[in-house]
Parts: sequence; structure tokens; C-alpha cells
Amino acid sequence: MTDIWLWMSDLANSKITALLIFFTLFSGMLLYVYGDKKRSKRLESYKDIPLDDDIHENMTKGDRKNG
Amino acid sequence: MKIKHEIFETNIGVLIVFTMLAISIGGLVEIAPLFYINDTVEDVRNADGTQSVRPYSGLEQHGRDIYTREGCYNCHSQMIRPFRDEALRYGHYSLAAESQYDHPFQWGSKRTGPDLARVGEKYSDAWHVKHLIAPRSVVPESVMPNYPWLQKNDLDYSQTQAKMRALKKVGVPYSSTQEEYEANVKQFGQAVADKLDITRADENLIAEAENNNRDGLPDRITEMDALVAYLQVLGTMIDFKAHDEHEFIKTR
Amino acid sequence: MVHSSASSTELYNYDIVKKFAIASLVWGVLGMFTGVWIASELAWPFLNFDIAQISFGRLRPVHTSGVIFGFGGNALFATSFYIVQRTCQARLAGTYTTHNFLFIGWNLALVIAAVGYTMGITQAREYAEPEWYVDIMITAVWVVYFWVFVTTITRRNQPHIYVANWFFMAFILATAILHIFNNLAMPVSFTGAKSYSLFSGAQDAMTQWWYGHNAVGFFLTAAFLGMMYYFVPKQAGRPVYSYRLSIVHFWALGFMYMWVGTHHLHWTAIPDWTSSLAAVFSILLLMPSWGGMINGIMTLSGAWDKLRTDPIMMFMITSLSFYGMSTFEGPMMALKEVNALSHYTDWTVGHVHSGALGWVAMITIGSFYHMIPRLWNTTLYNMQLVKAHFFLATLGIILYITAMWASGIGQGIMLREFDEFGNLANTFISTVVMSHGPFVVRAVGGMFFLTGMLLMVYNIFMTICQAKREERASIEQSVTA
Repeated sequence: MTDIWLWMSDLANSKITALLIFFTLFSGMLLYVYGDKKRSKRLESYKDIPLDDDIHENMTKGDRKNG
Repeated sequence: MKIKHEIFETNIGVLIVFTMLAISIGGLVEIAPLFYINDTVEDVRNADGTQSVRPYSGLEQHGRDIYTREGCYNCHSQMIRPFRDEALRYGHYSLAAESQYDHPFQWGSKRTGPDLARVGEKYSDAWHVKHLIAPRSVVPESVMPNYPWLQKNDLDYSQTQAKMRALKKVGVPYSSTQEEYEANVKQFGQAVADKLDITRADENLIAEAENNNRDGLPDRITEMDALVAYLQVLGTMIDFKAHDEHEFIKTR
Repeated sequence: MVHSSASSTELYNYDIVKKFAIASLVWGVLGMFTGVWIASELAWPFLNFDIAQISFGRLRPVHTSGVIFGFGGNALFATSFYIVQRTCQARLAGTYTTHNFLFIGWNLALVIAAVGYTMGITQAREYAEPEWYVDIMITAVWVVYFWVFVTTITRRNQPHIYVANWFFMAFILATAILHIFNNLAMPVSFTGAKSYSLFSGAQDAMTQWWYGHNAVGFFLTAAFLGMMYYFVPKQAGRPVYSYRLSIVHFWALGFMYMWVGTHHLHWTAIPDWTSSLAAVFSILLLMPSWGGMINGIMTLSGAWDKLRTDPIMMFMITSLSFYGMSTFEGPMMALKEVNALSHYTDWTVGHVHSGALGWVAMITIGSFYHMIPRLWNTTLYNMQLVKAHFFLATLGIILYITAMWASGIGQGIMLREFDEFGNLANTFISTVVMSHGPFVVRAVGGMFFLTGMLLMVYNIFMTICQAKREERASIEQSVTA
């Protein structure tokens, strides 16, 4: 075990260490975000937020003339 | 316990903390080691055991300040890379040791003009003066601006000691006490230690400017004196002929 | 007709957004004009006119600060305040005084910095040229900016924090860290302008390019992605392509950008491992960058006809294409072998501008054409002018980057050419001669882009005049009724 720590703390191996850490985190994130159908559906529902902010506005406004 | 990404999305505090974590790791890994690894900066010594690379004299530092003031770094680098063409064109590749007293560094990022890391002693003072006043009078195809004001402006050296003191605070070994002076004698030799003495800065500057008279105007100390003094010292502190060819590779 | 959108002008604070938007356009024109001028100085050096204040070395920081912090910075203040209010459905935190402190503080700092450069007052570190007292002003502004932004988010009427705000948050945090650490300096005296960097040589170089690259990563990329995540869906009238992709790409981008700064220092006097590490992460960075590009462009899937009919959409999609292109070119240039040729040449300059003009400026222009009429509660004065602007801008960028490829790659090849005896085949000055043609084309490309900006300023000016007329008319109407 100490060997692994020694190897990891050697800066010459930083490239591989960093890649390993990053890859693990990245895979975990992918699994989390894409792994569950229900969760996916919930996450995707947030993308409508910017389109909801016009509710109070006159919808013909904006690109009325040339749009 | 269920971990949800919503923790980030609905809590600005958590979002801030984790964003900070994500963005801090890379910077720390890249930069922090350079501050404690000793061999990042080479220990280069002369035959007599003194340090080859020394801080700039007062006049040279003024020249450096003019170099940065005019934005020379926008077109000239001071960093020779270890390639055959650069070795032939500019000389030995640059060592970290050579810019260890450079606040700020002037390695540059663009060569609209050639690299200047070893321009020192390649051209005469008179050439530099003529070239700086009107570059196209010596290099017809040059696109460098003219710098006629360098010769017209007298050097304002009232701040020499203040500048040296500020640089001393950020780690440049200028001396203001007898102990510091003696330490410098040991490290750089007597001649250099004299130049690094803040208490004698003004007389040293005047003597250096008048003895060399780089601007060709014996009765004046101009900005040209300072800038040419700086350019002429660039890359000349280490005598590479005295070192083994492979000595510096291990620090890379 | 009574404008029912008055409710949104009451709910949201648009005054400060308007100020920053106009300031952004003013800086855009000034900064780009300076850019065209210094590009011309390189093509025709007599344009330096032997005047110290406008010589290339002093004027170039005026250009870079003007466009990055003037045009880009003001645009980010404007759009981040617009977006955070609308996606949180909450009024901007802070009072009139707080907002004006930000507006005046930021712009005054930039004016002081720019005037200082022409007088030779500079830290001589690229993109961090302002001296210590301006740095302190900027820090003060930034702390208040952070407070206003975060407080607005805490007051939101929407449980979820929309992804655009994460990008702005990362931008504000990262910029604060970068700005403070990179500008640590020792003033010569507290009554003078001059200071010396706390670090020297190799350490200073590492700190500076850690800053320099992340200014690109967080100021010019993350923040403008925030802009993209709001305005592209709005203009397209459809939600962003994949919210999950945006989550993945946000964290990957935030994590990886900080590793890659050292690719600006390949083959220099720093330890080899830092440079290899930066090269590897630069390649990896392609993934989150393209994640953002794909997410933006695919937002339009199913509505591709908008690309033909809507010039604002053209700006946005073209900007994403340039983003994709320059984030492919960047990792390639971060390979040590390619970098050996490309570094120190005009290729770098071309790469920066394909990102800065193609991505940053075009997404800003597109967003402004969408946002500004809504701020003034009117419609855009002339959509044909937007189309003309689009073609001028695109043509300008293409001229610019092809000229820089020609000059940069040409210079890289010429400098490493040997004759049959193993001597250098070319002198340095012969590469300068070679670059003259491309320099002229580059200046012309810049002029095209600047002309487009002037059209925009005219169009926006007329839009605001029209809004004022409409407002007067509606008041008169309600009085007579």
C-alpha cells in the first residue's frame, strides 16, 4: 500500500495519477447522470427554465417586425 | 442516503464550494511544486565558485523598466528553446537560472522580432543606439517602431534606491546592511557585491553610465544609456563554454 | 397599445443591464479600432508616427484590455445580470448605488489602465498589465459583483439554479482567484505607479500563464457558455439539446481548464513533467469543449430553417462553429511537436482571434441583438443590417485567420529550414518580409469586422430611439384615452 502512495506522490507520475483520478470521477458522473431513467427525466425537465420567463410578457413582442 | 445532483443545483453554497474544489486542484498541482523543488532553478557557478547569474545593476534595472514600459515583450521573447535552429540563430537554450531575478519574467509569447535572451554583446552600443532611434536605418525591412525619445529623455534615476528596496522585498539579494553586503561578496564576488549595494546605488549608477557612455552623449545620462546597458547584459552572465554540454539537461 | 411586458420591466432591473450593454459596445468599437490600428502599424510601421503614446508596444495592451475586459467584461456584466434575474425570476440584489459602483468602478478602472498603458505604466505581463492600484479597484468591484450575483440567486423564485448561472458562478470565482494570485506585486512606493511582481523567472512564468490560459478558460469560455446556454434556446424558441450533457460538460470543463496553462510554456525553462501534463489535459479538454458546442448547435435540431431566415441565429450558430474549431485547433497546438513550430508565431495570434472574434464576439453580438430590443421593450430597428453585419464579421474573421495561418506556419517553417550544408536557410528578417502580405490582409480583415460593429452600433442606436418614440406615443395615447 505504501508503495502505491509513494508512486502516486512522485511528480513524474502525476500525469497517470491525475488521469486515473479524473477518469474515475468522470465515469461516476456519467453513470449518475445517464444511469437512471427517472433521474434523467427529472434533470431534462430543468431545461425549460429559460423558456418559462416570458409568461408575463406579451408573446407577440420581441421579433414582431422582422422575426 | 441518496446523493442527488440537485444538491448542487438548488444550493448555491454547495455549488460554490465544489466549483472551487474543481478549479483549484489543477492550479495547485501545476504551480505549487515549482515553489519547493530546488532543481527548478539551476545552480550555475563560475570557476571561482561564485554565482554566475547576478541581480541587475541599478542602471540595468532602469533599462529593464524601460523595456517593460515600452512593451518590448509584445514582439520579442527572451526564451531560447532547445532546438537546433534556435541554437544556431540565438545561442544556448535559456536556463531558468538566467531569469531568476526577473520581476516580472519577460519570456514573451510572440516573436514579431527576434529573441533577445542572448542579444547582449552581439552588437555594438552604437548599433543599438542607431537601431533604437530608427530601426530601418540599419535593417531596412524591419517593422519595429522608432524610439527617438529614448535618446532625448534624461534618465530619471531618483527612484533607484526605492526600486532596489522593493526588489529586495520580493527576494532579489540587494544589500542594505554590512552583513548583507558581506554575504553578497561571498556569493557573487566583491565587484558584483559593490553594484548590489543599495546605499551606494546612486554613485554606482552615475559611474556606470559615465564610464560606458553607451548613448554617445558623454555629458548626459539618458534612457538610452539604461536600455542599452540592459540589452548588453542579456544572456551574457553564464559562460557556456566553461560548462559541460549535458550539465543542464537533468533539470528539465 | 399598452405594453403588457411592463410587468417584466417592473420585476427585473434592466437599468444596469442597459448601461453595461452600451458600455460594452463603446469599448468594442474602441478596442477593435485600436486592434485595426496596431495591425496596420505592423504592416506599415510609419503609422507609429514616432509618438511614444501610440507606439505598438504601448498600444497593444490597450487593444487586448479594451476588447477582453471592456467589450467582453461589460457584456458579461450585462448578460449575467439579465440572465440571473430572468432564470431566477427575481429582481437583482443590491441598490442603485451598488450597481453604479460596479458600472463606474469597472469602467473607470479600465480607463485608468488604458491611459496608463499609453504613458508606459504597465506590469508587462500579458492580459494582466494594469498596475497594482487598478488591480485593487478591480478586486473591489469583483467582490461586490460576486455578492450581487449570489444574493440574487438566493432570492430566486425558482427552486432550480439554471445551468447558465453555474457557468457565470464558475467564471466569477475563477477570475477572482486568478486575478488575485497573478497580480501579487510589491509597489516601489505607495504614491507611485510602479510595482514589481512578487514572483520571478520560472515561477512568474507559471503563474502568469496559469492566469493567462484560465482567463481564456473562464473569462472568455465559461462565462460566454453561460451566455450561450440562455440566449441560444431563447432565440431558437426551444430548450437546450441535453441538460444532462450540460451537467457533465460543466464539471469536466471546470476541472480540466486549470491544468493546461503550461502549454504556453512548452520547451521553456520549466520542468518537463508540467509541460507533458498540460499537453495531456489539453487534448482531454477537447471533450468538454465539444460537449458545449454540440449542446448549443443541436438545440436547433428540428428548426434548421432558422439558420436561413434568422440572422441572429446565424451569429449564434457560427459562433459555436468557431468555438468548436478553435477548441480543436487549441489542443492540437498544445502538442509539443506542433507547438515547437507554432509557438512565437502568428499562428497563435490567429488562433486567439478565431476564438475571440469567432466565438466570443459573435455569441455576444447575437445575444445583444436578442437582448437589447427586449430591454427597451421594442423590436430591432433593421434586421437587414444584422444580416450585413453577419457577412462583414464572418468575412473579416476568415481573412484574419487565414492570413495568420499563412504568416505563422510560413514563419515556423522558414525559421527551421536548413541549407544543404546544415546552415540556417533563412535570416529572421526574411520572415518579417514574408509576413508583410498577410499583415496587410489581417488589417483588412479587422477593418471588415470593425465596420460590422459600426453597423451594429448604428442599428442599436436607432432601436433605442425608436423605443423612446414608442414610449412617448403610448403615453400620449393613454393621456388622450
